Amino acid sequence: MKLHEIADKLELEKLTPVFDKEVTGVYISDMVSDVIANAKAGNLLVTVQVHANALAAANLVDVCGIVVAQGKRPADDVVRMAVKAEISVFATELSRWQVATKLYEAGLR
Amino acid sequence: MSNEARTPRYELADVQPGYVIIEREMYSKAARSYFSTEPVPPKEPYREGSQVWSFWEMAQSFRFAVRDNTTGEVVKFDELLGLLYYASCDPDSDLYRIGELALENRIFIYVAITYEAPDGSRLNISMDKLAILNRAFNQRLRTAEKKILILPDYFGLYNEMSYGQVMLDFGLTAMEEKAASPSKEGAR
Repeated sequence: MKLHEIADKLELEKLTPVFDKEVTGVYISDMVSDVIANAKAGNLLVTVQVHANALAAANLVDVCGIVVAQGKRPADDVVRMAVKAEISVFATELSRWQVATKLYEAGLR
Repeated sequence: MSNEARTPRYELADVQPGYVIIEREMYSKAARSYFSTEPVPPKEPYREGSQVWSFWEMAQSFRFAVRDNTTGEVVKFDELLGLLYYASCDPDSDLYRIGELALENRIFIYVAITYEAPDGSRLNISMDKLAILNRAFNQRLRTAEKKILILPDYFGLYNEMSYGQVMLDFGLTAMEEKAASPSKEGAR
């Protein structure tokens, strides 16, 4: 499933252009170290973490995009970093649990 | 056979969750850090010669090794405090400028920051080990043309950086926009 399809289905707010990539799975974490150790390339990262280091970790492991849940919003400089790394960042008022549920309903496993 | 179906050559192994403990010297305000698996750091100040060190802050992190599945060799990276992404540095710094140049070729630069040695210098990470680390992280990538380049700290960043710039989890989840941590200014 492509990133833009997920963004449309979940009605995610686009904070960056959509760099459309295939989504291979989902990883939910708010810890930089956990993302580095366990997330896989192509995963969609669901988080409430908005620190620049989260973007740095997401880029290191090559996640396909980031969904920032619970109404959190990264600072403008973090969004600019994401654009340079061609990582799509989305925002939503949904909780991480609600995002996970909707991603499952959308067909992601 | 797809890439996903093959066993990757390199894998993170022996991943050990723990904490980076940061201490500060009472008089000089120098800072230093070490890895601990204990969730409760020593809170009592202690003396080393004329210096008095005490707990300052801690960040969740992990220690790991890399296993080469073709040879079975496991290489530990216990000296590695963390990685620092070039874009987290001052835009006027050499590293940032080099990082921007590299980015034009889809190369993303990170710097390996090591722990402090007891004498205040930095622990060494060999070029052979950095090569393994680079191979391990690049092998995980899916995006075409993208490369990760992890460099040794040729820039002396450890003298200027704050621990908050290194990819660590301050507090429980470090959800603040800028992680507060002691600056290394005047540390040495």
